[in-house]
Amino acid sequence: MLSKVIDWLDERAGIRALWHEAADEEVPGGARPRYVFGSVLMFLFVQQVVLGILLASYYSPSATDAWASTAYISDQVTAGWFLRGLHHHGSSAMVIVTVLHFFQVTFAGAYRKPRELNWLTGLLMGALVLGFALTGYLLPWDQKGYWAPQVATSIMGSMPGGEAQQKLLQGGSQYGNLTITRFYALHVFVLPLGLAGLLGAHLALFRKHGVTPPVLPQAELDRKMDRFFPKQLFLDLVAMAMTSAILVWVTFNTHGSELFAPAQPASNFVARPEWYFLFLFQLLKYFHGPLQIIATVIIPGAAATFLLLLPWIDKAESRLAKDRLPVLLGVCTLMAGVVALTGLAVAEDKANEKYQKDLVIAQKEAHFARELALKGVLPQGGDAVFENDPLVRVRRSFKENCSSCHAIDGIGGAEAVDFGDYNSREWLSAFVRNPEAPQFFGGTKHEEEMEPYPPEKVSDAQLADLVEYVLSLSAAPPKDLDAGKAQKGAAVYESLDCSNCHEVEAGRSAAAPNLLGRGSVKWITSVIQDSSQDPLFSSNAKMPKFASKLAEEEIVQLAQLIYSQQPYAVVAASGAEGQNVKASVKAEH
Amino acid sequence: MPKDKGHPVASHPVEDEGRRRLLKFGVHSLGAAVAAVTAGPAVAYLAFPLSHDTTTGSGGFVTAGRAARFKEGVPVKVDLLADKTDAWNRLEQVKIGSAWIVNTGGKLVAYSTVCPHLGCAVDFDGASTKFKCPCHRSAFGQDGKVEEGPSPRPMDELEVKEEGGLLSIRYERYKIGVPEKHVV
Repeated sequence: MLSKVIDWLDERAGIRALWHEAADEEVPGGARPRYVFGSVLMFLFVQQVVLGILLASYYSPSATDAWASTAYISDQVTAGWFLRGLHHHGSSAMVIVTVLHFFQVTFAGAYRKPRELNWLTGLLMGALVLGFALTGYLLPWDQKGYWAPQVATSIMGSMPGGEAQQKLLQGGSQYGNLTITRFYALHVFVLPLGLAGLLGAHLALFRKHGVTPPVLPQAELDRKMDRFFPKQLFLDLVAMAMTSAILVWVTFNTHGSELFAPAQPASNFVARPEWYFLFLFQLLKYFHGPLQIIATVIIPGAAATFLLLLPWIDKAESRLAKDRLPVLLGVCTLMAGVVALTGLAVAEDKANEKYQKDLVIAQKEAHFARELALKGVLPQGGDAVFENDPLVRVRRSFKENCSSCHAIDGIGGAEAVDFGDYNSREWLSAFVRNPEAPQFFGGTKHEEEMEPYPPEKVSDAQLADLVEYVLSLSAAPPKDLDAGKAQKGAAVYESLDCSNCHEVEAGRSAAAPNLLGRGSVKWITSVIQDSSQDPLFSSNAKMPKFASKLAEEEIVQLAQLIYSQQPYAVVAASGAEGQNVKASVKAEH
Repeated sequence: MPKDKGHPVASHPVEDEGRRRLLKFGVHSLGAAVAAVTAGPAVAYLAFPLSHDTTTGSGGFVTAGRAARFKEGVPVKVDLLADKTDAWNRLEQVKIGSAWIVNTGGKLVAYSTVCPHLGCAVDFDGASTKFKCPCHRSAFGQDGKVEEGPSPRPMDELEVKEEGGLLSIRYERYKIGVPEKHVV
């Protein structure tokens, strides 16, 4: 049956001749493992194209949708994480195999006459592979995709006449929708078409000249000759299968590709390029100011020129490696430089504690954002994923209900207490020193005011003890509470006659708030509900009562927000939310 | 060099056929394995919408307004707003569809505006007091029955509920072009 179909097709399309044209290619000197790299690259390219089409069937290239659709692929679509992971790691595989192919060709002397055009098309394809990577990792529009390519486009803009080029490439003076659509068009149409065209030329030229066999007498080469099919193709497939196995292994181990939090133009993300660009990144560290052009243009340009001109620089008599030592040494030095710079970049980052810390924060934020994205992202896109965070809603409630008098993070009114660092030791010390300072009750019209305690009345050491005592009264004292100091503080409390206005025993009220349990979520909740109730501010209360205006749940959430401003807050909320209080707060600003 | 392209020739005539067959088998099985790495997950990936609701929003009751608003004799068209998910997006209070509300002797009935014929939006024609589809001339009475044209079934009635003076409608979409009414 099958053979009949093939017969029918062969009669009309000559497919058998086509097959034999490919399969019976001569491999002088016999099939060899070191001829596999070109085939593996072709395989990887085809796989990347297929994976790219699959990703494009869910991905949406716009500043509002790119991140959310990528998160959807990674976290919701069946096997999406795996296919995206293969595509991501596949690009690394292409870079590695390109380098291996390059070395094989260089050591065999395959760039020499008459194969100069093979060499040039090959180098151009290598450049396109890097172009794919550069345009590709912008597309998820996560923090890395937003920040890392900025380095490349900024370098472009810093060159003479580069400003217009940069604008043209990124579709404006800043990154935005047009940057994504342009990079997308380059990544999925221009570069693949370019690569396919060059590949066609490269293969045609390869078929014209054949493999570059070992330097052996012709008779020997003829005697050992194989056909491409099946032996060389088998070796090629073994190499492809090994590459696939490694790719699958890496993809499983990394659970696909990383996806950082959505692009936030106001953040300071720790931008690092993909590992294969680290050498260029490292080079930039050594040349400053007007010399920067050495790192961005002159050195890479000189290296590229050397490689392009290799067939003409190499004047050796034969292809034997020992006759071409200077050329091979030059290529090896170049590669050693790349490896050394990459190693330095990695080592510097490993030793850089701040970078490591920032990276952990970025990864936590990424995890949190992806968790929130499971509920769906509002159409504003990207950053709007943080709207799903209950804490962001609380902050909005704070803005609506509290911020005309109170401030958090320095934003808000000065009519009442500022919650920046609320209840920290510094905050409490400053409060006792001067309760009528503008950040405390300075803006509040109290009938009775607490008197200031300047250093003449309370020494710094006494004040520290007093603060420790006050902290010891709270419902959840800080973990590093100094009990000895707190005890001394109790004596200071007595000597200053604080008890004239404050109580420290349960249930007792006085002119000023009872200090027992002060600062806890429960305490703040009751202040928000009605600050005039006993044992709080009594007749001195000036704050509106919110018990009748807001739902109790919302008041508790507001209290938690205020409580979380103190440095030793114990956030009882569920893990992810708790850890990311600061992250989500930052995200909103 | 021997030039005999175009003919299937064993490279080494001495090479035994068994070995050659083994290599061919290796080529085919490795090729299939390498392709399956992408192709296998790709099928599950592309078929994701078959087993998951990628767009949700209809199905629940949606408030259509005060019941007293709908007077006898004049059908009123209401837009139904609900929260909706569309793949990665979460949309708050967007239009998920519309319904015609008819008051017959104090009883409120809701019809989907989607014409059961081919999905155009059905209008109410005040002159003939009939619902008319602007696309293919289907016309329906105020009881939803087909009076003219190609529609295979009456207008799709939607479930309604009255609570505290508010009318709610369960908005659903039905399969178009068939005589039976199935939710899609």
